[in-house]
Amino acid sequence: MMRDLRFYLLVALGLVAFPFALHLIKGYPGLATQILIVGIAAVGFNLLLGYAGLLSYGQAMFYGVGSYVSLLTVSRFFPAHPNFWLALILAVALVTVMASLIGALTVRLYGIYFALLTLAFAQMFFFIVFQWRDLTHGDDGLQGITAPPLPLGFTSIDLTTALPAANLGPLGNLADIHYWYVFAAIVLLLVLVFVRTLTTSQFGEVLRAIRENEERSTFVGFDPARYKLAAFVIAGALTGLSGALKGLYETSTSVETLNIETSGSFVIYTVLGGVHTLLGPLVGTGLVMYLQNVISGVTDSWRLIEGLVFVAIVIFLPGGLLGPLRDRSAARRRLAATVRTAPPSPTAPTASTGGAP
Amino acid sequence: MAIAIGLTIVFGMLRLVNFAHGAFYAIGAYVGLVIVKQLGLPLPVGLIVAPLAVAAFAVLLDRVVLVRFYDKDPTAQILVTFGIALVVEETLRLIFGGTTQTYPLPAALSGSLNLGFTTYPTYRIVFAAGIVLLVVAVWLFIQRTDFGLVVRAGIRDRTMVQLLGGNVRLASTVIFALGAGLAGLVGAGASPIYSVDPNTGFSFLVPSFVVVVIGGLGSFWGAVLGGLLVGELQSVTTIVQPAASDVIIYVAMALVLLVRPSGLLGESEVIRG
Repeated sequence: MMRDLRFYLLVALGLVAFPFALHLIKGYPGLATQILIVGIAAVGFNLLLGYAGLLSYGQAMFYGVGSYVSLLTVSRFFPAHPNFWLALILAVALVTVMASLIGALTVRLYGIYFALLTLAFAQMFFFIVFQWRDLTHGDDGLQGITAPPLPLGFTSIDLTTALPAANLGPLGNLADIHYWYVFAAIVLLLVLVFVRTLTTSQFGEVLRAIRENEERSTFVGFDPARYKLAAFVIAGALTGLSGALKGLYETSTSVETLNIETSGSFVIYTVLGGVHTLLGPLVGTGLVMYLQNVISGVTDSWRLIEGLVFVAIVIFLPGGLLGPLRDRSAARRRLAATVRTAPPSPTAPTASTGGAP
Repeated sequence: MAIAIGLTIVFGMLRLVNFAHGAFYAIGAYVGLVIVKQLGLPLPVGLIVAPLAVAAFAVLLDRVVLVRFYDKDPTAQILVTFGIALVVEETLRLIFGGTTQTYPLPAALSGSLNLGFTTYPTYRIVFAAGIVLLVVAVWLFIQRTDFGLVVRAGIRDRTMVQLLGGNVRLASTVIFALGAGLAGLVGAGASPIYSVDPNTGFSFLVPSFVVVVIGGLGSFWGAVLGGLLVGELQSVTTIVQPAASDVIIYVAMALVLLVRPSGLLGESEVIRG
C-alpha cells in the first residue's frame, strides 16, 4: 500500500513537472495536454496488447467515435444545454457498448485473425463516419465546436483559461499552462490508478496467464474469453475517453481519427515505450509526439526516423524502452524475495542430493 | 488478386504474417516509374526489372531481419513487418516526394479493344491476361517442381526435410522473394492504371488482406476465389448502393472471419495462427 502511494505520488510529481520540462526542450504549450490525452488511449491499449497479448488493429474506431460523439453531444444532441460531463459520459458509454459488441465477436479469434477482424471493423466505422454526411460532415469533419465549461458543482471552470501568470525563468511562464492540462493530468492519474489496480489484481494475473498459456489457464478453471472481453471493453472505453477529450480539447475532429494510421500509431506508441509496463505507453506517446512536432520542424524525415526506431525496438528491445528497467526492478524484487525466504543453506544440498540415486 | 496471391503464398508456405507486402507493391511501382518515366525505357523493361529489384530487396530483408521472426508469435511478425512498411513508405516519400504520379502507357496498348459485347481498355485486358498466366505459373512452380516439393514438405515437418537434405532455409527465402517479386511486378504493371504515391503500399495492403482472409489465409486458390468475389461484390454494390461499396468488403471479411475464420478454402488447422 505504501509502495503504491509512493508510486502515485511520483507519477503526480512527474505530471506537474512535465509541461515545464517540455518547455525546456522547446515543446509548444498545449503539446503536453495533447500527449496526456492520447496517452490515456495508449495506456488502455496496453491492457490489451501488453497484458492480454491481443494486438488490436482497430483502436482508432473507439478513438474516432469518442471524439465525434463528444462534439456532437455539445453541438447537435443538446445544443441548448451543452454539458461537458454529459459529452464525456455519452461518448464513453456509447464506445463501451460498441466495444462490448465488437469484443464479443472478436476475442475468440487469435493472432492475425484477431488483428484483421478488428481492422475490418475499424474500416467499417471509418466508411460509416465518412459517408454519414448529415451527422459527421464527411471529410470536412467537425470544426470549431467550443467545449462548454467544466461544471464542478459549486462552480464551473472554462478549461481554456490560463493559470495565473508567474515568470519561472527558463521554465517559461505558469500562464502558458491552461486548466485543460490540469484536468487532463487528473484524468490520466485516475486512469493510471484504475489500470494499475486492475493489473496488480487477480484480473491482471489471469490476463497474463492467458497471454502466456491460454490452454493451461482454461484447465485451471478460468474462462479466457470472458477475461479477454473485459480487457477489450476497458481498453475500448479508455480509448473512447481519450477521443472524447481530444475532440473537446481541439474543438474539432475529422475522419482521419478513425483511419488505419491512427490505429497503427497506438501500436507504435505502446511498443516503443514498452508493453507490459504501466508507464511505457505514456513514455512512447510523449516521445513520438514530441519528436513529431519538434523534429518535423527541422527535417521532414522524422517519420522515417520513427519507423527505423520502431523496427530497431521490435528487433532488439521487444520489451520497449522501459522494458529493461522493468526487468531490472523485477530481478531485484525476485532477489529480495529469495533472500527473505531462502532456506538455511545446509538443507538445500541435502534436498537436491536426496532425490539422486 | 495477384498481390493477394503473393501474400497468401508467403503466409501459407512460411507461416509469416507480412504487413510489409504492400510496401513491395509500392517499391515495384516506383521502380517502374523510374525506368519508364525518368529513364525513358519501354514498359516491358520495367516489368522485368521491378520484380527482380523487389525480390532482391526481399532476400536482403529475409536474411537480415525476418530470419529472427520465423519462430516468433504472429504478433511480433505483424509488428516488425508493419515497421518495415513504415520505413519503406517514408523512404519512398523522401526520394520521390508525396505527390501522386503515374506513367504513360505504351502507345500500342493505350487504345480500347472491341470484344463484341463491350469495349475495354487494351492495357487492362493484357494486364489481366498476364495475371492469369502468372497465377498458373506460380501454382505450377509450387505444385509441380522438386523445389516446390521441398517448400511444401518443409511446412509439414521442417526437421525431417532438413535431415533428408532439403534446404528449407533457402526454400523459404526463395518463396519470400517470389511473393515479394509478384507484388513488385503487379505494382509496376498496375501503376499506369492506378497511379502511385507513397501511401500506395498501405492502401493496397488492406484490400489484399480482405481478399486473403475471405479466400482463406494460406490457400492458393482461396486467394484467387477471394479476389474474384471481392471484385464482384464491390462492383455489384457500386451499382446498387454506391455509398456502401467501400464498407461492403469489410462486412464480408468480418462475416467470413466470424463464421469460418480459416476462410472459404482455408485449412482449419491454421486458425490458431
